[in-house]
Amino acid sequence: MTEIADRLESGDRIELKFPARGDLIVLARLVTSAISARAGFDIEELEDLRLAVGELCLLTLQGSDAQHGDLRLELSVRGDAIEVVCTLERAGVASAPGPDGDEVARLSEQILDALVDEHGRESRDGSVRAWLRKRRGGHAE
Amino acid sequence: MDQDFQIEVRAGSTPPVIAVSGEIDVATAPQLRECLHGAIARGEATIVLDLLGVTFLDSTALGVLVGALKRCRDLGGELHVVVADPRITKIFEITGLTSVFSIADSLESAGAA
Repeated sequence: MTEIADRLESGDRIELKFPARGDLIVLARLVTSAISARAGFDIEELEDLRLAVGELCLLTLQGSDAQHGDLRLELSVRGDAIEVVCTLERAGVASAPGPDGDEVARLSEQILDALVDEHGRESRDGSVRAWLRKRRGGHAE
Repeated sequence: MDQDFQIEVRAGSTPPVIAVSGEIDVATAPQLRECLHGAIARGEATIVLDLLGVTFLDSTALGVLVGALKRCRDLGGELHVVVADPRITKIFEITGLTSVFSIADSLESAGAA
């Protein structure tokens, strides 16, 4: 494995904010790959995190009027783990879920259950917030 | 939008083969849904979906596949999925969809002629 010079250390935190559009979730996945590699996760864990963070974004957007909000992603290195918090800000409630909406949410939950150590979702003060935590070498399916 | 995302409908094969490459996610899955539903609406009850060129797949993509599978089976057909990349196979496994879909690792074993 190639050694990365610019490693992230425990306590380092990166934020990304972008319009809450599905086609921009790829940005969250790209940033997650880069951060995970610098935090010492191996290639398989990195792929797991990339998929899991995409699902976290999808769960956050679910049931919201994403045309009018922003998605804020916070990635924090904590010891041998990475924590990711995804918050939807300033969005309204969607009039109807998209096609396959319930099925997709169920699949998202299953993917997160399998790939990360902990995850959750909550609505508070008009914002939707979903989070996950994954340890290096710590999660077994 | 994934610039590498492509869908190719291979005419002349029986059953018809729809080949996808690139990343299937919330941005590109609607194109796949439209393509699959279009083929089914034209009376193609059995379809081989070639995902050998797919590099990423999320829950929205799986939702599209599950929806298309239901439509195929309603017509007495089947949606055969071709996957070889272990990263993509893993997503089917962790969602329990390996027991739902007919999954093959090559076009030949999926019955595409």
